[in-house]
Amino acid sequence: MLNAFHSPQAVALIGATSDIGQSILKAMPHDNLDTCFVVARDPKRAANSLQEFLPSRTKLVKVNFQAEKTQSHRAIVDQLFAEGDLDIAIIAAGVLGNNPDLDEAANALDAMSVNYVASAHLMLLVAERMKSQGHGQIEIISSFAQTRPRVDNFIYGSSKAGLDFMARGLNESLNGTGVSICILRPGFVRTRMTKFLPEAPFTVNSDVVGKLAVKLLKSGETIGYAPPILKWVALIFKLLPTSIFRKISKR
Amino acid sequence: MRKIESTGWGRTLRSISSEFEPRSLEELQEYVGGHESSRGVIVHGLRRSYGDSSLNIGGVSINAAFLSGLTFHQDTEMVTVGTGVSMRTLERASLERQLFPPVVPGTGFVSIGGAIAADIHGKSHHITGSFSSCVKRIRLLYADGQIRDLYPQGPGADHFWATVGGLGLTGMILEADLQLIQMHEPSVLVEETRVNNLEEMLGLLSSSDENFQHTVAWIDLSGDFRGRGVVGKGNYVTKNSATKKSSPGKIKESASLPFPNIGGISFINKYSVRAFNEIWFRKPLTKGITSIDAFMHPLDRIQNWNRIYGGRGFLQYQFVVPEGNEDFLAHVLATMKDLGAASFLGVLKKFGEGSPAHLSFPKPGWTLALDIPAHLDNLEQALNSLDSQLCARDGRIYLIKDARLKPEFVPVMYPRLEEWRAIRNNMDPRGMWQSDQSRRLKLC
Repeated sequence: MLNAFHSPQAVALIGATSDIGQSILKAMPHDNLDTCFVVARDPKRAANSLQEFLPSRTKLVKVNFQAEKTQSHRAIVDQLFAEGDLDIAIIAAGVLGNNPDLDEAANALDAMSVNYVASAHLMLLVAERMKSQGHGQIEIISSFAQTRPRVDNFIYGSSKAGLDFMARGLNESLNGTGVSICILRPGFVRTRMTKFLPEAPFTVNSDVVGKLAVKLLKSGETIGYAPPILKWVALIFKLLPTSIFRKISKR
Repeated sequence: MRKIESTGWGRTLRSISSEFEPRSLEELQEYVGGHESSRGVIVHGLRRSYGDSSLNIGGVSINAAFLSGLTFHQDTEMVTVGTGVSMRTLERASLERQLFPPVVPGTGFVSIGGAIAADIHGKSHHITGSFSSCVKRIRLLYADGQIRDLYPQGPGADHFWATVGGLGLTGMILEADLQLIQMHEPSVLVEETRVNNLEEMLGLLSSSDENFQHTVAWIDLSGDFRGRGVVGKGNYVTKNSATKKSSPGKIKESASLPFPNIGGISFINKYSVRAFNEIWFRKPLTKGITSIDAFMHPLDRIQNWNRIYGGRGFLQYQFVVPEGNEDFLAHVLATMKDLGAASFLGVLKKFGEGSPAHLSFPKPGWTLALDIPAHLDNLEQALNSLDSQLCARDGRIYLIKDARLKPEFVPVMYPRLEEWRAIRNNMDPRGMWQSDQSRRLKLC
């Protein structure tokens, strides 16, 4: 259960090797944290990283997870609720879809399967269970890239746009149930996943994103940008005529 | 059943549950006996618990309002009262018969069921003990749908004492027999004294307990937090102390103003609190006969005063620490100062003996209650640190006010928790009675 400070007792980090996911957990209040579900392809490695900042009293429950194996998702979600109420689930699994060993179509399939299909599926399953307990928050990592298609990241952007759309719709359907979805839309974040890419304007470290993500959870708002100024950049991006947008989005 | 969203009085925790409003005892019994949901059931009265004691997220919340019976026994000072009745209603009905409950809390807007389930206390604790001292019988609805009468002594006394202070987790209290006291008129002979620091305040509270039925101090939580304030002492007006103006049986109604709903804006900041507290500290002191309502329930003059803290709500941090730990009180004030936790409500009192209830809060020592805005930076860590020191000093937190205590502190603060759990499991083997607080603090 959450306490008056919005400090959770049980949290699940799905995609627990994600730098952003770990930063969110790091920024969260830990004083009350009894259980953290570490859901990852390599949960042991993820748990080792989390142990560096979580208090020793927090029990880390390692859960093996392969995003593309959607048939296993239900059993994974069952594990997250086996020990009692789950207060917050962070769905941070994601790929950029720019694997040089794969062609464009294969990369698109990869990004869609992890960023959209697996993440949205898990979000729906977790939301269903949270509805039964009458409370809970799910935070998903969307992206600024979903604002408007750009040549250099439309595959990634489209997969995040799908997840973002689903999350907004699900959040509406959950109104009045005690369960809610938070949608975090980061811009370019310095992580292991992006270290080979050129930085974009308003680039931030994952620690900054983590703090903003926790602030979003506490605020009860649905959508948050990291950094917050991207909210206004997104608005401008949406309104720009195509000819101008093409020019400024070329990198 | 309809879904309702509720909060505790502090407005920090919200909960959506299904509200069950029984129309008869039979309907209630049938419902409780046949209830099967894993999210359980809790009873609520007037929702004056500050945190999540009366909340049951995803489960069922039974509204006790229909338990509204009030029967005075002929030629005795005993009343049988339904637990949905408010203290204010009981007080007014009693005063018409020149009677009064011996223990009343700072607000009249608590239900009698809540008063028993929290084993509340008042300004008279050093003389009367907590509310359970006047409870001579309770009628309890068990999780299996059976109803039993329980008494403080004899067979079933363990169930009685597990229910008193038991936060509604042993069953639903349907009615109670209360032993009232005789009251000449609804007035109190009050004497207020201004004190300039904590030491003076503690000394005056200690020395006043011998001569006054009611003692309490308002402590200024602003400025230099040195513990200045106003000590209030009072005795019921008797035939001897009554004046010509006295009016037996008639309660003088104070004006009660609603605090407007202004969309979650907080009026609490160090400047507004400093100004209010300065005025309150300097106000003309009361010396003489005062309406019992104004003395016992000063905050009831403003309805929904909890809105003053805005949408993010507030916490009431109330603890008791044994005598000899006066330095801890000063340490708490210093901590509040460091946090910038300015507040217009700080109350200090010296408790007398505790009650036999397993989870009853009062025990001999000093109790300090502080209202604190919930949004302050580092507040959670600071209060956790104070809790840890409280455990080392044999102190405890008042659970009915709590919305943030760490579960591992509960067995230390309430050493009879295991004993209570065993009785509770015997009374409710299915674990049907549950609240958000019982889940958060792992009480059951």
